[in-house]
Amino acid sequence: MTTLTRQDLNFGQVVADILCEFLEVAIHLILYVREVYPSGIFQKRKKYNVPVQMSCHPELNQYIQDTLHCVKPLIEKNDAEKVVVVIMDKEHHPVERFVFEMSQPPLLSISSDTLLSHVEQLLRAFILKISVCDAVLNNNPPGCSFTVLVHTRDAATRNMEKVQVIKDFPWIVADEQEVHMQEPRLIPLKTMTSDIVKMQLYVEERAQKT
Amino acid sequence: MDELYLDNIDEFVNDHDKIVTYKWLSLTLGVHVNTAKQMLYHYLDHKRKESSAPLHATYLVSGKFVDNGQTSHKVSVVKEDQLEDVKSKMSLIVSVHVYSVQKALLKDSGPLYGVDYDAVKDNLKNCSRYSAIRCASAVPRSSVELQQARHTQLAPAPEPEHKKSATNGDATPASKPSTKPQKGIMGMFANKSALKNQDSGKEVKSEQKEDAPVVDEPKSKPAAKANPMMNFFGTQAAKKPEKTVKQEEAAPSSSSAEQQRPSSQPEETHAAAAAPPKNSKKDSRSKTKRLEDSDSEEEKMDKKKRRRIKKPEPDSSDEDVIPDSPQQMETREASPSPKKKAEPVSQSHGNCEMKMRKKRRVLKSRTFVDDEGCIVTEKGYESESYSEAEDDVPKDPIPAKRPASSKPDEKKSQKKASANSNKGTKQASIMGFFQKK
Repeated sequence: MTTLTRQDLNFGQVVADILCEFLEVAIHLILYVREVYPSGIFQKRKKYNVPVQMSCHPELNQYIQDTLHCVKPLIEKNDAEKVVVVIMDKEHHPVERFVFEMSQPPLLSISSDTLLSHVEQLLRAFILKISVCDAVLNNNPPGCSFTVLVHTRDAATRNMEKVQVIKDFPWIVADEQEVHMQEPRLIPLKTMTSDIVKMQLYVEERAQKT
Repeated sequence: MDELYLDNIDEFVNDHDKIVTYKWLSLTLGVHVNTAKQMLYHYLDHKRKESSAPLHATYLVSGKFVDNGQTSHKVSVVKEDQLEDVKSKMSLIVSVHVYSVQKALLKDSGPLYGVDYDAVKDNLKNCSRYSAIRCASAVPRSSVELQQARHTQLAPAPEPEHKKSATNGDATPASKPSTKPQKGIMGMFANKSALKNQDSGKEVKSEQKEDAPVVDEPKSKPAAKANPMMNFFGTQAAKKPEKTVKQEEAAPSSSSAEQQRPSSQPEETHAAAAAPPKNSKKDSRSKTKRLEDSDSEEEKMDKKKRRRIKKPEPDSSDEDVIPDSPQQMETREASPSPKKKAEPVSQSHGNCEMKMRKKRRVLKSRTFVDDEGCIVTEKGYESESYSEAEDDVPKDPIPAKRPASSKPDEKKSQKKASANSNKGTKQASIMGFFQKK
């Protein structure tokens, strides 16, 4: 029954690792389920003991990994309020936004030995929910693309610009048109609460997609 | 009472957007599986008549299937639109029933497994409570019988050991070595993981004294078990389980080093080497909870398994066979003789040959980005000086140590050639996932 605080950087890194792994799997799954890319590039792999679909395309994988690599320091310091996967149509107007809202308690504490397995169970439920989300969403128009936005604090933005975590992978402040959607409909998908993180996933969908 | 279930299923499907499989329904409502299947069928029927919201269903079809003259019994889960198609292809249909009902059209069968996973895990001891498969004589052993079975296993005998290694593919559940890993799994569920690890670690140490090869087998099983547990806790996880796992790992690794010398019969060790890979594969399939990282698990698998997979590739790609380092001699009989052949060849320092290897080979792990842009971690034999092998990407400091054999320009050009020809030498690493379709 140990109590580790955020100053114990080891544990903060563990939490950030877990969340970034989860986000990577979730992004791949969203791309598969919403048919942003043809399903031929996806392959079944195993995560949290359930099958998930991950892409095989090396550039796509590299892009997602670089994105999350830059987001990880923000999560470590609990600066990332939301991580948003935006699906945009051909004119770069957002059509759907998958919002992962997360917050970590200021005093992280491991209160049970089964903490990690409990977290795994909750993340598994998220994965399952994403797999069936097309029951509640309308189909997207063809030719969509995606991008990842992070909502964070001003100071953290300045840090990110100062320290380029990955070379040639700059982060820029998002355009107004990418952030706001016309007539959004909000569809909550899943919420989880655990000792290390509280996360909520909901989808904002544009009322008219085509 | 009879109509309540329709409302229940309705709530699950429409309000919670769940995928309702018959297994999940039977465990949730506490009914026999056949009842659950009928419930789903009636619900589907009912809703289709009302024609409110579109519902999708998957079916389980099983029957005899004739394929090129071979008759086989085929069981498959199919989507509704493929149902008639599959039914017509079967020669004899044994059973058709609803597998699941959901609102979303599933693109693949992955979520169906995930739905049942948690429900089955919660009822692990009696998940067949409502099942239709029964065998009257299959009764779990009592603890007294388990103790007796353990005592008989302790006496090592060559014949049972041969039999055990041959049949090890089908897990003998009552044997002593497998109860120790089982303790390991259940220990993760309970709060006594630390105690149990230490116990099994001590038992492993006491067995070390016995000189029989049968001990080699159970060693590798706890070793294979220790590795998933290490993966489960991650790289920088809680310190307590790490310590106990390290204790257990230290015991098997030292004992396996000891056992390798005395075991001289290649057949036995071959069988024993075959058994641990099977067991570690089985372990990876079993439901041990771990935040799985397929990279680290493959890296931490038995040295023997890695060697066995690595061997055929260099054999096929090289004229000169790789010389082994001394501890690995017992896995293949062929290796000692090519080693002697390679030593004088390498000493003659023929650097014009493309595929020559130096005599000192060290097992190293390299992470690099190959030409496809995928990150590959490979365990390979790297020589101390430059090497022209296909799967080696030589590093700069290594040739710097051997100024006598310096030809840096040649090495660089061969490095490019080796990077280009990297495609042919993929071994069982993460690249196994990236197979070209």
